[in-house]
Amino acid sequence: MSTPGQKNLLEELKNSLTQAVPEGKIEETDYALTGYQLEVRLDQVGMRSVAQAMKDRRFFLETITALDYLDYFELVYLYSTYYQDFCRVKVRIRISREATPLSIAAIFPVAIWLEREVYDFFGIRFQEHPDLKRIINPDDVDYYPLLKTFGKTKFTEEIDDILC
Amino acid sequence: MLNKITIDDATVNERVYKLNLGPQHPSTHGVMHFILTLDGEVVISCEPNIGYSHRGHEKMAENRIYEQFLPNPPRMDYLSGLIFNYGYCQAVERLCGIEVPRRAEFIRVITSELNRLASHFIGAMDFVMGLGAYTPFIYGWDDREQILDLLEAVAGSRLPYSYGRFGGVRNDIDQAFCDGTRRFIDRLRKRLKDYHDLVTGNIIFIKRTQNVGVITKETALEFGVTGPTLRGSGIKYDVRKHEPYSIYPEFKFEIPTREEGDCLSRYLVRMAEMEQSLNIIEQALDRLPSGPIRAKVPRFVTPPAGECYFAFESARGAVGFYIVSDGSRIPYRIKVRAPSFSNLYVMTKICPGHFLADVIAIFGSIDVTVPEIDR
Repeated sequence: MSTPGQKNLLEELKNSLTQAVPEGKIEETDYALTGYQLEVRLDQVGMRSVAQAMKDRRFFLETITALDYLDYFELVYLYSTYYQDFCRVKVRIRISREATPLSIAAIFPVAIWLEREVYDFFGIRFQEHPDLKRIINPDDVDYYPLLKTFGKTKFTEEIDDILC
Repeated sequence: MLNKITIDDATVNERVYKLNLGPQHPSTHGVMHFILTLDGEVVISCEPNIGYSHRGHEKMAENRIYEQFLPNPPRMDYLSGLIFNYGYCQAVERLCGIEVPRRAEFIRVITSELNRLASHFIGAMDFVMGLGAYTPFIYGWDDREQILDLLEAVAGSRLPYSYGRFGGVRNDIDQAFCDGTRRFIDRLRKRLKDYHDLVTGNIIFIKRTQNVGVITKETALEFGVTGPTLRGSGIKYDVRKHEPYSIYPEFKFEIPTREEGDCLSRYLVRMAEMEQSLNIIEQALDRLPSGPIRAKVPRFVTPPAGECYFAFESARGAVGFYIVSDGSRIPYRIKVRAPSFSNLYVMTKICPGHFLADVIAIFGSIDVTVPEIDR
């Protein structure tokens, strides 16, 4: 479903992302299967340069979320655009469990809330965030609900026996 | 007009106070809490405090199989629940590579546009009620009731529909539904004129909404605003056109936009969108094919390991389901990109400098559903 305009955009985007984060792994993905056209994989540094590059290209921040892989986290940033031919970019950043990634709130103000949500559910502390506190859960709870170690029911272990 | 009011720093400490608007307040459309810092009647800062209706849907998803999560998405945005329901189905279909029969796609489009109409009635008429006009609200409730009756006949419930299935829909629609929908379209086309006579030209309404809560294009970009709220700011972005899914490319419809970016333009965009939804439903009913309504899928789906994102346009903006699968029967993670979340946050930027009463107007015109923000 890619048009010539989209092809050009993809190339330009890849170039500016390569400039912003030379160490990142940038891959084209099949939109029909995944729902995004570019995937950027990074280690901890570089989320700010990506965010700035995306903002310069008139992209908006769709959402930030995290994935808990027990011995490490992955932060997922999704960018999309109002203007050009459609394109969605996914940025995956692998961080250790104790890491304090940089906040991108100075570039996209909506990240203030989105990063608070990630902190609220995963306990990931963002550096230089203006107001990092819980957002959806009550202020006085002492757990991070979306960690894989929290609230796993027995059903998930017995699922194959139940449904066989 | 409001920019004339400046805050005198010397007197700030004596005059400035905090006001809790909500969580229980008739014009906050649910359990919504604003912490407002006011100088007299002028807002200095507005901080929404969310989380009162958090139910942990994303955690629930990690503890149940894909089919068991089907009833959950409609409970996030209860006003356009059917669209969320289909969105989740389509995300899983993309992950598993399931083809949906054409008739099912048509049924999905017809019912989700009906649902969008019902939601826009609440969005537009609740907004007007927040400004003190009660009659249009009851008119809107009447029309919405017709839609709910139609949808109840096919989907079996009135609000939290669980009608979509992986690979299709649960029940086929019958001739009575098609006839009823056509009658409803004719009725609504006449009634929409009444709404414009009753509300749109009203001088009090215009004075309360014009140039109030202006969202500029730059602000919209920074805050990731989507939906009618964005189109009221003159940006022509609609997931149905930008990133076509289902069979939307086959229909002719416009994306209404307004340049002003104020409360009035958001209301007008919503009203204009209703007409476009009627056009889509009419075209879909004319071309409704026959055939199966559900693809052959296993009773329990087991997606391959991988991940996908599926974006769709709900009545409030671009929603996304981000599903990560580890190859088991239980999702590893389901993240929902809720449009109301970003749309609400923009209030912290646009409310300062307005009167307290304008906060209600702005909040109404942005049209958020609280359970969707909290999930």
